[in-house]
Amino acid sequence: MRMRWCLARLLQCGAVCWMAVSTAFGVEFDVLPPRVELTESLARAQLIVQQAESNPDLKTHAPDLTSTAQFVSADPNLVTVSPTGQLLALANGQTKITVTVGEVTKEVEVVISGVAPEHRVRFGEHVIPVLAKAGCNLGACHASQHGKGGFTLSVFGFDPAADRAAIVRDRQQRRVNFIEPAQSLILLKPTMSIPHGGSRRLDKNSVDYQFLLQWIEQGAPGPDPQEATVTAVEVYPAHRVGQPGFTQQLRVVATYSTGATRDVTHWAKFDSMDDSVLSVTPTGVVTARGQGQGPVMVRYEGQAAISMVVVPYAGTADLTHWQELNFIDQHAAAKFRELGITPSAICDDATFLRRAYLDAIGTLPTTAEATAFLDSTDPAKRQKLVDRLLGQTGDPTQDIYNDQYAAFWTIKWSDLIRTNSSDLNEQGMWSLHNWIKSSFQQNKPFDQFVRELVTAKGSIFSNGPANYFRLANNPSDLAETTAQLFLGVRLQCAKCHHHPFEKYGQEDYYAFAAFFARVGNKGSQEFGVFGGEQVVIVRNGGEVAHPRTGKKMEPTPLDGPPIDDPLDRRIGLAKWLTAPDNKLFAKNIVNRYMGYLLGRGLVEPIDDLRATNPPSNPALLDALADDFIKSGYNLKHLVRTIMSSRLYQQASEPTASNASDRRFYSYYRVKRVAAEPLLDAVDFAAGTQTKFRSVPLGTRAIELPDAEYPDYFLTTFAKPKRASVCECERSPDENLAQALHTLNGDILAGKIAAGNGRIAGLLAAKKPHEEIVHELYLVTLSRRATAAEIEASQKFLATSPSPKEFYEDLLWALMNSKHFLFVH
Amino acid sequence: MRHSLRCVAGLCGLLVSFWASSARAQLCYPMAMSLHPVSAQTGQVSEHELNARYNLYGAYQVFVTGTGVTGEVVPSDAKPDEKTGKKPTLNKIKLKFTIAPDALPGPREVRVATPFGASTVVQLLVVRDPVQVERDPKEPNDQRDHAQEISLPATICGTIERAEDVDWYKFKVEAGTALSFVVQSARLQNKIHDLQEHSDPIITLRNASGTTLAQADNELFADPYLRYKFEQAGEYFLEIRDARYKGNADWRYSIEINSRPHLTQLHPVAVTPGAEAQVQMVGFQLPASLMNQFKIPMETPDGPMSVGLPMGDHVSNPVPVYASTLPAGLETEGDNNTPATAQPITAPLGISGRIESESDIDYYVFEAKKGEVFGIEVVARRLQSQLDSLLRITNDTGGAHAENDDGRYGRLTHSDSRIEAWTAPADGKFYIEIRDLHLRGGPEFVYFLRVIQPQPDFSLLMDSDKTILSPGTNGTIFVRIERRQGFESDVQLTVDGLPPGVTATAGRILAGANDGCIVLQAAPDAKLAASNITVTGTAMLPAVEGQPVVSLARIAQPLQELYFPGGGRGHWPVETHCVSVAEPLDLLSVKLSTNDLVLKPGEAQKVDVTIIRSPGYTQNITLDVIYRHLGQNFGDSLPKGVTLDEKDSQTLLQAGATTGTIVLRAAADAPPVDKQLVSVMANISVNFVMKTTYSAEPLTVTVSKP
Repeated sequence: MRMRWCLARLLQCGAVCWMAVSTAFGVEFDVLPPRVELTESLARAQLIVQQAESNPDLKTHAPDLTSTAQFVSADPNLVTVSPTGQLLALANGQTKITVTVGEVTKEVEVVISGVAPEHRVRFGEHVIPVLAKAGCNLGACHASQHGKGGFTLSVFGFDPAADRAAIVRDRQQRRVNFIEPAQSLILLKPTMSIPHGGSRRLDKNSVDYQFLLQWIEQGAPGPDPQEATVTAVEVYPAHRVGQPGFTQQLRVVATYSTGATRDVTHWAKFDSMDDSVLSVTPTGVVTARGQGQGPVMVRYEGQAAISMVVVPYAGTADLTHWQELNFIDQHAAAKFRELGITPSAICDDATFLRRAYLDAIGTLPTTAEATAFLDSTDPAKRQKLVDRLLGQTGDPTQDIYNDQYAAFWTIKWSDLIRTNSSDLNEQGMWSLHNWIKSSFQQNKPFDQFVRELVTAKGSIFSNGPANYFRLANNPSDLAETTAQLFLGVRLQCAKCHHHPFEKYGQEDYYAFAAFFARVGNKGSQEFGVFGGEQVVIVRNGGEVAHPRTGKKMEPTPLDGPPIDDPLDRRIGLAKWLTAPDNKLFAKNIVNRYMGYLLGRGLVEPIDDLRATNPPSNPALLDALADDFIKSGYNLKHLVRTIMSSRLYQQASEPTASNASDRRFYSYYRVKRVAAEPLLDAVDFAAGTQTKFRSVPLGTRAIELPDAEYPDYFLTTFAKPKRASVCECERSPDENLAQALHTLNGDILAGKIAAGNGRIAGLLAAKKPHEEIVHELYLVTLSRRATAAEIEASQKFLATSPSPKEFYEDLLWALMNSKHFLFVH
Repeated sequence: MRHSLRCVAGLCGLLVSFWASSARAQLCYPMAMSLHPVSAQTGQVSEHELNARYNLYGAYQVFVTGTGVTGEVVPSDAKPDEKTGKKPTLNKIKLKFTIAPDALPGPREVRVATPFGASTVVQLLVVRDPVQVERDPKEPNDQRDHAQEISLPATICGTIERAEDVDWYKFKVEAGTALSFVVQSARLQNKIHDLQEHSDPIITLRNASGTTLAQADNELFADPYLRYKFEQAGEYFLEIRDARYKGNADWRYSIEINSRPHLTQLHPVAVTPGAEAQVQMVGFQLPASLMNQFKIPMETPDGPMSVGLPMGDHVSNPVPVYASTLPAGLETEGDNNTPATAQPITAPLGISGRIESESDIDYYVFEAKKGEVFGIEVVARRLQSQLDSLLRITNDTGGAHAENDDGRYGRLTHSDSRIEAWTAPADGKFYIEIRDLHLRGGPEFVYFLRVIQPQPDFSLLMDSDKTILSPGTNGTIFVRIERRQGFESDVQLTVDGLPPGVTATAGRILAGANDGCIVLQAAPDAKLAASNITVTGTAMLPAVEGQPVVSLARIAQPLQELYFPGGGRGHWPVETHCVSVAEPLDLLSVKLSTNDLVLKPGEAQKVDVTIIRSPGYTQNITLDVIYRHLGQNFGDSLPKGVTLDEKDSQTLLQAGATTGTIVLRAAADAPPVDKQLVSVMANISVNFVMKTTYSAEPLTVTVSKP
């Protein structure tokens, strides 16, 4: 593998050298597309001239020569070509475009058809894209809530009929002039022929101007329901690697509902998603500005795609000490190579031990567990530890952490599902909590977990997941919640208008919501007349209507055909959602778990998976998703796979060469310990217990079922109220209040000084100084004190008013250290 | 007299202190709260503590329902104060139960008779295995380190006595042992008068390291049922708590733990009295052959019941069946999952079936003539089936003619479905469709489908479960009718089983009316006594052409009055209504100026009421002729068109007043009626939420013809 990579790099260097030499004489290149068909009046197409590259591994590295190429039309009466390679159809016929780079020339055949004087300009197909490209229907302009200057358009043209009425009918038809179309306000304003608050948006000599003018001349016809709609867009190239400063012309092709395709580069919207890496012009010319990886978001008519731009940090990555323990490491290494990032060293045993315990079970190791691991010379001890924590050893007697595993991961999913007694009352809250916890105890396959949740019915007391339908109790909320939780798709925008960064519109939103149209509830006295039991049921009827058209929506998954089930629509939804070919389901989960365990998801935010928010390592995301599906959606397998990788064992200290990396896991990203495991860690270290409301003393913070507790520590460290399905509700950030609380707050001080606490116990047992110090280090940092630390502690002890005060101060200092408060 | 609830919302929290300070004169029956231990073993004599609100002192008789169980009061050492003669207040007494070896396991209603009248009911659970009682709370078993050791088989009896209480038990098993853990707690609380929040127990099984092996919550309604096979020998822990970590000193529990087969259902679930029943057993740890056979007595009345099946050397745990004298049918073994493959049936018929798997739908088809009436009912959840039925009647094209999810039974809504009277709209084939509302299915989803052509009929509900009289006073029982299938006749009430010294004047439920009453009278020299009574309603059905007049008799179902949060009244069916003669209470008599009132339409007449109070009793008394609470009528035997004129009546007797008036007014269009029995009631507030109701001597009201 490594040999192949070296050869590839050698070839790349060779190609660059050859290019440098050959440019003077002319370089071999390819023109995309090699043949162009323009099928209507004023049709346009963008040519891309790319240096020829025979090595498939280096195709993405091939330089773009579009800006240096010369373009000549053989018959300008049929088709013109701009210096940037954009064609414009003028008359029917067939001709050629000559493309010259240096001394090399190539010809592109162009066929023009459909050009006719009576060519009809269509509102949806032509006018809306012109308005969109000009920015007229952006939320900041005429698509704001009250429009601008009395002129209001729908956001991104999601309501063409209303837009046409706004242009043609509103204000006594003042915006169009059918007698003198060129004097129409809709043309005079954007061309700045008269003052326009939105500045110049349209050139009088442009093709787009011609489209608007012709549309008015033709009587400004309204949208035709039969008009083809855009079903997908594709951008070329989708992936481009190069050195800082390189440029790349993009080309965008739309696919229509008729199956036809059309070059829409001229109407597409281009946005850089990472300005530190690249910039992009309105015509789709990308310039690499910095190092790293960044996408260009391309949008057209409600569809979106990305082109990924990669600018390596260095020419090579030093992977001498890298080990590929599983496929994660293979894909991580490939990314390191592509970006020229050298990963940090492997972390030490103590760091791994603490990291593994906190990440897998939200619990610190006992002193016995820590010393046993640290003292072990077994080369496989890390893998064995992971297996033990996850109960994957095959030996039931070693399966002693399952309850802690279940409790810890129940917090995560209770946060997301929003288990709370405010909405569910106590019994419902407990029922849902117990079901989630039991699912993790059993390591229930995640697809089954989701199916049980999404199709849940029955008693809210006896069937925990039925409470899902009380937390969100209408089709819209259920659609949004389900899409975000289990697909990582944020549908909310599409409730009112087409999603700005997604392909989903109102039609998609309400068709998805229709799956939940028939969920209802009834009362029950099975828990006695005082029980107050509610039962979630599926009614015989109930529909969701499109709010604008009133159309009854067929239950339809995102990106799929309608699915119905006469008994319960949700059955079809659950099947589609968890089907192996719905890879988004698996990607959503594996990405979240990468985020939980490695501090950052392959996609960030980890619950925002969309075409325009690409993963940092698409191959790794794909491989993880495939493996997760293959494992039967086995969450413990997923956690084990990630924790068994070399990537998970990275040291958290960046090196000089990878310090600027924030996305590619070249070093372990330090995470603040979450509220509940941190409070447990404090109690464990101090030898105390925290009493929480309505659960017996001894109940740990990671076992708490409810959202809100009157506990200052948990609140300060951002235990969420479970009001939102967004991962962002649990803030991972550190803040001043937290620091002040651990430094000066009385909770920590009280626990450290507790009469029945660890310090008191150690002193009562008259343990030797060194043993006490080692224990305090072990229960906080999961390692023994170093010789230097022992020596220093002896000095401090000697100068302290009392041993008790010293040991309390030492424990306080350890608890306030970054190595205690964070996972390293 | 009658005791009931009265509410001033929001003041419930003050009750305990209020009761303590105001209990001088307003005497009240004991409200039984719980038995501890709640279980008693067959073939044993065991002592149990009865906890109650109000005074159990002097309890002299124990009532236990069913056969094979007797109870007696264990004499108390408490004695009246030697100086004042004041009787002590006992909230706890000991009862001794003798359980016959062949007594059928399961819950029994228990109440005691006291000088203050009969108590409300609690339930005792008869079990097979030795009862092992939770350690005294002074030696708590609320942590794993302090788990109480038990030996198996066992019935653990304990209490989730306070918030956050967790009870731990430990036991040893051999490898391969399979145990069932059957909890009864919440189900034993449904009939308790004043337990406004019930337990929701959850049990967890852990291994020696504390790791959870299994957990069960609401398997049998709110109670857990856990089955577990232990692969390894060793010590294991059982934890029981309330699912919400709530607690209450009266939240008793029983956990039956044994390795015997445990039956949950039988299929077919309906059996014909006197006929040999061949059934398939459903449950845990069953023998290789699932088939079994048994017979219930010929005289068994139609309805749900529990049976124990012969299981070789022992009898099984009780399992619910439905005794039915309808022609018996069985769901076909073939496919009846679509209308096209529907199983043909003819009414009347009782079919035992089962929703075998997820999304299974059972179809039955029957022929009907236009205008024919059918009653269709699914009995499942009442038999502990997992089925929450949805019942539909459809036509050839799948169009629904009728649908029912939950049926109303008495004052409760049940998950079972019932279409009481459906009239065929045309000649043709019609389909009965049964499925689980939640599309579940499996061996435990058995059902009994009753298809009948209903005749005019009625049922009676008796409010409430007890009537307490003191010598020389009267009390009232109201009986409410549920009329079915056009039944409109009068129903004459009768009462049997009265204790010595008590006589009854039984009224009737008039045609078209809902309620009738019975006035009970205790002789002035009546002694302390108590007995369970039976109230029967008898009606004569109008003659149908060519057929004789038919007499129809129905026994009234007693209802336990439940004290609702906020002071409202609820009800739960119980097996008995107990009439008791107590010691003299607050009122000594309620007399009327007349016992026969004759009203002409449009006329009003006054009845003077004279009360004799106990010496020193001066609290307010309110008079009424309607039994009502918080604006809701629970008993009103006034003839149609006759109302209480509240404006002209003097119903509030304050500051020791002893006379009042009741004015009854007949509407101008009041139909004639002859001597309808009415009770003039004198209500005494016991506290903010409760009242004691006495009755005057029987009053009859006649409305003459215009």
